[in-house]
Amino acid sequence: MRPLAGLGRTAFYYTPLLIIGLAWEAMARTGILPPDLGPSPMQTIAALRLLYTDGDLVMHAGISFWREFAGFASSCVLGTAVGVGMARVDWVRTVFRPIVTFLYPMPKSALIPLLLLWFGIDHMSKIAAVFLGCLLPVVTSAFNGARGVEPQLIWSARSLGTSSTAILWKIVLPAALPDILSGVRIALSVSWLLLVSAELLISRSGLGFLISYTGESGDYSSMFAAILVVVSIGFLADRLFLHVIRWVLRYRDFTG
Amino acid sequence: MSKIEFAGVRKVFQGDTPNPVVAIDNIDLTVRQDEFVSIVGPSGCGKSTLLYLLGGFLDLSGGEIRVDGRAVTEPGPDRGIVFQHFALFPWKTVLGNVEYGLAEQGMGKAERREIAQGYIDMVKLGGFEDTFPNRLSGGMQQRVALARTLACDPDILLMDEPFGALDAQTRHILQEELLEIWSRRKKTVLFVTHDVREAVILAERCVVVTARPGRVKTEIDTSSGKADGAAIEKKAEEIWDVLREELVRT
Amino acid sequence: MSAPAKEGRVPRWLVRYASPVAVLAAWELSVRLGLVDPFLLPALSSVLLRAAEEIATGDVLFHAWLTIYRAMAGFLAATALGVTIGVLTARNRYCRWFFEPLVSVGFPMPKIAFMAIFILWFGIGDASKIVMVTLTCIFPIISATYLGCSQVDRYLVWSARNMGTSERRVLWKVVLPASLPQILNGLQIAFPSALIVTVVTEMISSGGGLGGYMILAARFALSEKVFVGVVVIAVVGYALLTVFGHVRRHILAWHAESQMAI
Repeated sequence: MRPLAGLGRTAFYYTPLLIIGLAWEAMARTGILPPDLGPSPMQTIAALRLLYTDGDLVMHAGISFWREFAGFASSCVLGTAVGVGMARVDWVRTVFRPIVTFLYPMPKSALIPLLLLWFGIDHMSKIAAVFLGCLLPVVTSAFNGARGVEPQLIWSARSLGTSSTAILWKIVLPAALPDILSGVRIALSVSWLLLVSAELLISRSGLGFLISYTGESGDYSSMFAAILVVVSIGFLADRLFLHVIRWVLRYRDFTG
Repeated sequence: MSKIEFAGVRKVFQGDTPNPVVAIDNIDLTVRQDEFVSIVGPSGCGKSTLLYLLGGFLDLSGGEIRVDGRAVTEPGPDRGIVFQHFALFPWKTVLGNVEYGLAEQGMGKAERREIAQGYIDMVKLGGFEDTFPNRLSGGMQQRVALARTLACDPDILLMDEPFGALDAQTRHILQEELLEIWSRRKKTVLFVTHDVREAVILAERCVVVTARPGRVKTEIDTSSGKADGAAIEKKAEEIWDVLREELVRT
Repeated sequence: MSAPAKEGRVPRWLVRYASPVAVLAAWELSVRLGLVDPFLLPALSSVLLRAAEEIATGDVLFHAWLTIYRAMAGFLAATALGVTIGVLTARNRYCRWFFEPLVSVGFPMPKIAFMAIFILWFGIGDASKIVMVTLTCIFPIISATYLGCSQVDRYLVWSARNMGTSERRVLWKVVLPASLPQILNGLQIAFPSALIVTVVTEMISSGGGLGGYMILAARFALSEKVFVGVVVIAVVGYALLTVFGHVRRHILAWHAESQMAI
């Protein structure tokens, strides 16, 4: 199987998924699967096309993207700052480390009702959920990354004439980047999960709302289509980010 | 009668690359009962592969290996092996490791405990029975590995650069201990090393293997002429002269 | 275990707990001084009082028990299934061909979106929630088991074979024990998400549990109760993770690295 290259290899790799889809379709058509289990793959795709053409899908996806981006970006910036600060400055560590330790085992989804209470059912509560979901993975990975920078690396740069403030930008951040990026990758998947959860629960817009709305109105084909979109975005975002990581860290042997 | 016979042994690694690697080509070698034979050669010449084939861990690509006249087909406790990096079971204590082979052969608890204890004492690790391997130094771990292999009482002892990962002093002590054990309970030993001095000190005969593909280049008698340091150096130099030609080729 | 503090230095425990205590004090004071609306942020003391009441009636404990039960049931099912699939994937190439793409696609998906489907299939009771938790936890477990089993040092396997262990028994005698550290790592990654997802499923469909308890409180704007829920869940999460850590360290007594990690 080795010589298979490129596209052919990818197609071969994903064959089991195709087989499951085809088997499902076949069982639905022949009536082995009762129709009240939901739509078949083809019906789902038809509903997806309809959702797309009447613009609902694009609108809700746009709203979800905006919430995700706002929470994710602000969390990454702040989380990296706090994490690196904890690693480099004693008093920052003294203040934040116990808080991080206490918050770490807390299931973040439990904060959703609180956020609804504080920020209402519109954008802000969702952005806050994304923000909080991302924060700890980014803080801890930035902390670990910046802590793990070899002192010799910093000493070399200092002796070559880098000022102690420039060390942060020129040495610490680049050296901590692999850790930070893997933390951000975890944050990405956690935040998307929390966003969809929050939208499923109480919302008037967004992809999560689309799932619960179509489900409650009994339009299961559209519900399946919306779910397909949500999980595909989660999968593709992760893949895309993986490629970004590989590109950014192309200077080292990247495995996994 | 010969204990071990390699007849036209060949090993090719297919791997992922388009060009298969011929590790060993046409090796003929006979080892007598209770003989201590060392195998030296440049790194990557397939000298360890030779042991793995005899151990039955790898399949032959050609030729045959016979022990007591019977072809080797799979691993077995008659050919005990000691690896360079010890390969101790980290989840078992020292005692658990040494008992392992005996338990696998269905020996009762009390009996295997007694035998294992004997071998643990033999390698001077009494008191460490309940320690996990990770807490031991490299030299101690290799002692455990030796005890574990000896406990199965194999006819043949295969040693794959067993002291290669240890520091010089520890290596020296373990070499002496191995010789002492060997003189007390005779075994047929095949000892792979890249250290020619070690080969001279330990073995009765030294087999020099060529650079890849490995073949037997020559055999040097090392049973005598190790009375003092100078004699050992002289013998080692003799092996070195043969080996040097091969090292240039790698 | 706190070491005696050196002279002239602030004691360790004080440094350690200073900032959380400061945060809690600021919380209490800001409400007492009327800086924030007590509806949005009820005073710490009133939250604790309310929590004591709810615990005394047994109400919140019952919900906590439901949450723990669902999380553990889903997690244990995921462990049994995930380890089995992981071992099969590592040792059988047909299984690898089938499961590898499923895992690589399923791992990064936000599985919670499937909850609507599981409710359709399994109803709004415990079954759909437990299935959801299982689906969430299973991917890290499969991939950790697969990695562990396929990276077993070949010399360990050879040692066992050399001492008379048969090809088939190598799985039990060597492969599984040797990959235990990785498998437990996978379990440790999966475990927190079991709680996260249980809480969400309880918020989505009725049937009690801490998630249901909180979302109901939020809908009726009972802010103190929401905070009680947050506190109880934090305690449950902390307790479960601590127990898990102890179990892991006990099982891996032989493993040097996991002894150092705290």
